[in-house]
Amino acid sequence: MSARDGTAETLGAAIEAGRVADRVWLYSNYHCNLSCVYCLTESSPRAARRLLPPDDMIAAADEAVVLGYRALGVTGGEPFLTPGMPELLAALAARLPTLVLTNATLFTERLLDRLRPLADLPLTIQISLDSAQPEINDELRGPRNFAKVMQAIPRLVDMGIPVRIATTGDHNTAEEMERLCALHRSLGVDDDDHVVRPIVRRGRAVDGGLGVVADAKDLFPELTLTADGAFWSPFAPTVYEGRLDTDLLLTRQRLPLDASTRALLAVAESNPAGTDTTLNIR
Amino acid sequence: MSRVELLGADQVPLLARPYYPEDGSASPIVRALAQVPELLEVAMPFVARVFGPTSLDLRTKEIVVLRVSARNGCRYCIDTHTVAAWDAGLSEAETAALRSAGTGFSPAEAALVGFCDAFCDAPAPVPPDVAHGLQAHFPDHAVVELSLLAGATVMLNRFCTALELPTTPATRARLEAAA
Repeated sequence: MSARDGTAETLGAAIEAGRVADRVWLYSNYHCNLSCVYCLTESSPRAARRLLPPDDMIAAADEAVVLGYRALGVTGGEPFLTPGMPELLAALAARLPTLVLTNATLFTERLLDRLRPLADLPLTIQISLDSAQPEINDELRGPRNFAKVMQAIPRLVDMGIPVRIATTGDHNTAEEMERLCALHRSLGVDDDDHVVRPIVRRGRAVDGGLGVVADAKDLFPELTLTADGAFWSPFAPTVYEGRLDTDLLLTRQRLPLDASTRALLAVAESNPAGTDTTLNIR
Repeated sequence: MSRVELLGADQVPLLARPYYPEDGSASPIVRALAQVPELLEVAMPFVARVFGPTSLDLRTKEIVVLRVSARNGCRYCIDTHTVAAWDAGLSEAETAALRSAGTGFSPAEAALVGFCDAFCDAPAPVPPDVAHGLQAHFPDHAVVELSLLAGATVMLNRFCTALELPTTPATRARLEAAA
């Protein structure tokens, strides 16, 4: 049995036991057209781009298949600021079901046309929406964000591309959350495709004292590759005051995925069962 | 001031955490290597094994480490291993000698000093008379270990000097107290 076969076997058992995620996350870039108040990566139009080479993302996807991962995730920054993202997503989704996180503010007619072929692939687009009230959503996420999201979601749904809504933060009262849920249902997004998660106090959220403090034991282990290395979770490769946080770094080496997977498993298996995900942040 | 960020307790990568004692005494070498956790986790066990207790006594090993470091002019290693040599039983006069002319030792230790000096003159084989002088006092397995120890010291000399790693406050205090 090769070393990689051994990694695949251990990974498969860890996934089945619910000790690590079956998804590999890829940080395509760190820059963004928005500057959300709670952004983990201090993303903004001026942020360092930290681009993950597309060839590395494809290589990671190929090896993810061999190792037995079952899904991919693409996040940033705003992934659709990088050239060729629709075509890259098609290549990734041809290998494994892929989830891409976006603010949905860049979906011009031209970009939507390039996304149309993705309806035939296992690709889901997850769009951030924090409130049913435009003024509250836009205060958190940026001017005119709400209106653009309201335009984008029906277009994607009509094209046959599955859409998920992600709401970050605990600012919504029960009544406001019900309004938000009624809104996403009206846009064609089911309750099962609406995720609500806390703000994690890293990146820009530190300055505002927002959200919850989370360490490795609080974050579900999900292998995450960035331009800077392999990390414990998509909540890990954060930036504060322009400096990359390394406290949840696994290895500087991204590929082969076998090596970073072994590092993830080594740390995950060193944690006693039941100590993970106490904050249920996924 | 180091040439690279030495990672503090709030930025320790996951694989590096076992190498950071809770009392905050992680060495500058560990704090630099923590930038690349996958190398730290193989380098530090190697360093600990080579520089720690083995079949050679610590006094012999510290003579090698301090002499090689002095010949290579590594300030960090000279400072650190002057104190380590004291703890291994060398006198202040002996460590001062190892940092300068290297005289005043027994025949076996003088052969050791001669070997270190020749080792640092590389790239070149150790001259036959120096090698024979060493082998008159040390068996082959000890010569192998001494060669690895000297080589590992050169590696750390280059690493610490290139990165300008700072002498720790604890080491500096011991040196100043003795001055």
